[in-house]
Amino acid sequence: MTPVEGSTLTTVAVVMVAYLGVLLFIGWRAARRTHGGEDFHLAGRSLGAWSAGISSTASSESGWVTLGAVGMTFTYGVSGLWYAPGCLLGYLVNVYLVAPRLRPLSANQGSVTLTDIITRRWGDPRNVLRVTATTIILICMMGYVAAQMTAAGKAFSSSLGFEGRSGYVLGVVIGAAVIILVTSLGGFRAVAWTDLFQGVLVAIALIALPLYAISRLGGFGALVQGLGAIDPNLLSAGGDRIGPALWGFIIGQLGIGLGYPGMPHVITRYMATRNDREVQRLQVIAMFWGVAVFYGAGLVGLAGRVTLPELADGEQALMALALQLVHPVLAGLILAAVISAILSTVSSQLLVAASAVSYDVVEETLGRASDDRRSLVLGRWTVAVVGLIGILVALTEVRLVFWFVLFAWSGLGAAFAPLILLALMQRGVNRHGALAAMLTGTGVTVAWKLGRDAATNPEIFARVWWMTLIAAAAILVLGQLARAFERGDQIGVVSAASLTVVSWWLVQRWGLHNLYELVPAFFLAAFAALAVSAITPTSEGSPSQ
Amino acid sequence: MEEYSLTLGAHLLLWFFPLALVVLVIVENLLDKHTREPER
Repeated sequence: MTPVEGSTLTTVAVVMVAYLGVLLFIGWRAARRTHGGEDFHLAGRSLGAWSAGISSTASSESGWVTLGAVGMTFTYGVSGLWYAPGCLLGYLVNVYLVAPRLRPLSANQGSVTLTDIITRRWGDPRNVLRVTATTIILICMMGYVAAQMTAAGKAFSSSLGFEGRSGYVLGVVIGAAVIILVTSLGGFRAVAWTDLFQGVLVAIALIALPLYAISRLGGFGALVQGLGAIDPNLLSAGGDRIGPALWGFIIGQLGIGLGYPGMPHVITRYMATRNDREVQRLQVIAMFWGVAVFYGAGLVGLAGRVTLPELADGEQALMALALQLVHPVLAGLILAAVISAILSTVSSQLLVAASAVSYDVVEETLGRASDDRRSLVLGRWTVAVVGLIGILVALTEVRLVFWFVLFAWSGLGAAFAPLILLALMQRGVNRHGALAAMLTGTGVTVAWKLGRDAATNPEIFARVWWMTLIAAAAILVLGQLARAFERGDQIGVVSAASLTVVSWWLVQRWGLHNLYELVPAFFLAAFAALAVSAITPTSEGSPSQ
Repeated sequence: MEEYSLTLGAHLLLWFFPLALVVLVIVENLLDKHTREPER
């Protein structure tokens, strides 16, 4: 990146401190309105269209939109933009199909978490679904939280001028401490309000900066000529890919959108929306935010490629352009937007992880039902403890945890998105099918992902089939020991293991590893839900509708 | 000097898709407002 002058760094640091002050102020205001458990976990179902709409979208994107998405078009030109229709199609499904149905279903059920939706929809007398869903969510979310804290630490240390290992540690601690404080005090409401503030900041940065950068280049025509002069492939929708590689890439990028209905930190925003009218307004707000942010990020990458062709890492293009082109105060705001994209996701995921522990495990599974006040206190302490664990993992950089992050988006998407869609469409699924879908989505994601990386990890990939059998046997034994499994659950586990091994074989035999793992995992999970439900006896105990 | 231009696919990806999506969202919202029963 271009060397930054000391005075610029000071100005940027002042803006960053002011930004953190705004987050703390919002957290304090939200805390004053948070009085009980449902307030803490779901803002008392009182969110308006703006906070629900922008919070749902901002929390889903993380630093990826200001770093990774920018890097895609910087590196691949226009063909790097295929993520945008993929994500926007996911938004369409979420806001027009999921949100209008999920809000009333959740209100009628009294559901607080995604796990609640699943268990109350199909019935869960022995907590099999709740334990399975909570385990998947906790593993994915803890990895996510730690990885985002690491990214926030790096962004903070570079923007505040901290150097070396101690600078990184300080960056992680400052960013995480503010987020833990805000989330534990104000709960869901604080997270949604800070997301709104941060989401607007991200949108403004990603609209204004590319427009300014392109006008500095001499307009859009000059941008096209500049890109063509570097490489004419930067101006085509396929880049230098042809044949199956091109179609595999496009389907994979469009497939990103399949994950959105399964993201707990996204769909809980719809559950918390005040009424149907606000859901309708939310649809427009979320779609406009998505178009602005995804295409803004894409244009930043394109403009960055022409303006800063010598930049080694395309993911730094937004920050590099800001520091080179605009006044330090505006550059500070744009850096705050980069960090906002990260922190808005951290706070949302931290709250989901904490809700999984305090609500799903302690209150619902262990049956320690408490009054509203105790539920609030429990929620606050859980956020603090989970956040501290996140800091420790981020600082010690435990490799196993970061390994889980590689599977997090696809794993959550494949485990829950088909189920949420089936739950809302009221198709013939029972609780055994739901169990099979969660396990199949997770298993196929891991197997396929390892297949995609088989060139670098051939030994691990070769072991997938017997690792799957051991995992299935362990789940069956645990289910029997806990006297939790019915015959239908056993069929569900065996089906999930079989589909995982089949997917491993497909990757190995047909070389389908170029396909993004979420695509096969999503459809196989949906198939597992329907097939297992069809062959298992109807569950006793009617599911709540 | 060679003149470069976006391919048809790039035009569709970069301009047509987002504009069509925005128009669809606006039209859907207007239709929705038009057909919604007045709230009491």
